[in-house]
Amino acid sequence: MMIKNPAKPDDSGPTDMSRRRLLSWLSGVGLFGSAIIAVFSNLIFIKPRATYGQPNRFAIGKPEDFPAGARISLDTRRICIVREGDKVGAISTTCTHLGCIVGVSETGFACPCHGSHYDQDGIVTGGPAPRALPWYQVTLAPNGDLYVDKDNEVEAGTYLKV
Amino acid sequence: MSTQTVVRSQKGWLAVPQNVWRSIFRNPLPNSDYGRSSTSFSNFFLHLHPVKVHRHSLKATYTWGLGLMASFLFLILVVTGILLMFYYVPSTTQAYDRMLDLRGTVAFGIFLRNMHRWSAHAMVAVVFLHMCRVFLTGAYKPPREFNWVIGVFLFLITLFLSFTGYLLPWDQLAFWAITVGTSIAGYAPVVGKDVRFLLLGDSTVGQEALLRFYVLHVAVLPAVLIGLVTIHFWRIRKDGGLARPAEEEEAASTAPTQGLPATTPATMAVALAAAAGAGDATHPRRSFGIQGLIRGPLVKVGSIEDRTLFSWPNLFQAELLVFVISVAAILVVSLFFNAPLEEPVNVMHPPNPAKAPWYFLGLQEQVSYSAFWGGVGIPTIEVLLLLLVPYIDRKQLGVGRWFSRQRLLANTVFMTFAVINVVLVVIGTFFRGANWEFVSPW
Repeated sequence: MMIKNPAKPDDSGPTDMSRRRLLSWLSGVGLFGSAIIAVFSNLIFIKPRATYGQPNRFAIGKPEDFPAGARISLDTRRICIVREGDKVGAISTTCTHLGCIVGVSETGFACPCHGSHYDQDGIVTGGPAPRALPWYQVTLAPNGDLYVDKDNEVEAGTYLKV
Repeated sequence: MSTQTVVRSQKGWLAVPQNVWRSIFRNPLPNSDYGRSSTSFSNFFLHLHPVKVHRHSLKATYTWGLGLMASFLFLILVVTGILLMFYYVPSTTQAYDRMLDLRGTVAFGIFLRNMHRWSAHAMVAVVFLHMCRVFLTGAYKPPREFNWVIGVFLFLITLFLSFTGYLLPWDQLAFWAITVGTSIAGYAPVVGKDVRFLLLGDSTVGQEALLRFYVLHVAVLPAVLIGLVTIHFWRIRKDGGLARPAEEEEAASTAPTQGLPATTPATMAVALAAAAGAGDATHPRRSFGIQGLIRGPLVKVGSIEDRTLFSWPNLFQAELLVFVISVAAILVVSLFFNAPLEEPVNVMHPPNPAKAPWYFLGLQEQVSYSAFWGGVGIPTIEVLLLLLVPYIDRKQLGVGRWFSRQRLLANTVFMTFAVINVVLVVIGTFFRGANWEFVSPW
């Protein structure tokens, strides 16, 4: 084997090493960066963009379907429609404790699973539930249908005038 | 010359079965120490084991075979699980019908499902007991700290595997257990809601959740578990076998360790001289040099010969016994007890009380006091403590003995945690009725 560049070995040393260090640093960043990007891409992949279950915004019927003073629980939608006079509101019936369906009771709502109680407005009055039942936005579509949007939580006691 | 050829060819043809056999099994049944060694390390399945094993590691009252039992239960779960996959469909409209089919039309269907269910319960229990064994005998101490950490992850994956499998029958029990379980995940700070959404693939438990749990249960988690178990086993060997009392080591450590500190990698040349049967065809006169980098307590071949036994047959017999006991127990239980199957899912009517699987009932009991602390805070602290234990408690005292006096404090703390958790599970299982109110089982 020939020895290349036998002269000035000391000069080439430092430049060689720093180039090598730069390259290894770049490769390291490239590899780890790719790994991190891969992890994030997988997370993005498994987070569904569209869900195949029930839509979170749906029609519940005409305002006339809910007479004044009615508290109608729509179990498949997991909401309770509350009508007071000319105002309509939507309260979640999913227990904030562990996700069971709360039933409408005389004093408000009661959960069959772990005994949580809520008042008429969904405020916790007893049991292990940590927070009040959320209220959802109710809107009136041009065709006269009421829509509930479960992605849009509103303050308790927010009604829509119809 | 010609006759010789004829004879040889005849011999060759007649020798085919024998040659095939010997090409698969390199060694005849051993009757010498050399044979016992080469049987151990020339067989793929046996070479996971050391050629010689310490007497202390073979004591049934030391390990109770729990780790091995856990892996055999996992083997049963893989086999029965794959068989069940032939008939199962992860669909909300079909899953429950398939359960009924297993019970009614599929040959051995109910039996396979029983085996799978009871092995899963048993595996959770046995892995927990194995963890208790390792802690109470101080077997997590250096150099085995990281293997303990892997073990903690294996325990968590076992729980998660069992949990994901719980949803698949799509009956009331499954649906509400998963509803309650994933709600607990939702209480984790910052990421809780996202984790729950990623798990369920939707805002509520439904088709997406069933599919996701199925994929996790049959592919992702078993793959992770197998990978970690492989490392777990491998490290047992590399960490010098099972933990054993230091005194026994001292008594036998007359052999020099080449003057190197125990933590420095030392190259050891181990000569296995083939003295027995020198010269004959199966036992050629050769000596084998095994060169390896061994860190930590050395596997001192030669120096502690008097305290070790050949793995063939001592260790393998013991393992076979554990295997037979595990399989027999599962078979008997599966013959007499059927895996529960409740009514099909009714998302409108949760059973009252809605209970999680039994190993999560301690968690659910805690959750009934405080959703965040019971479901997330305390479990996280407990897991972190488990992971950190081998890095906090590093003193080499009382290693390899049950209930050692030197480990009174550590063992008491651990047992306190273990007993509290078991008591919570018992309360959640037997003492909670409708609306999670206290009831007496009597």
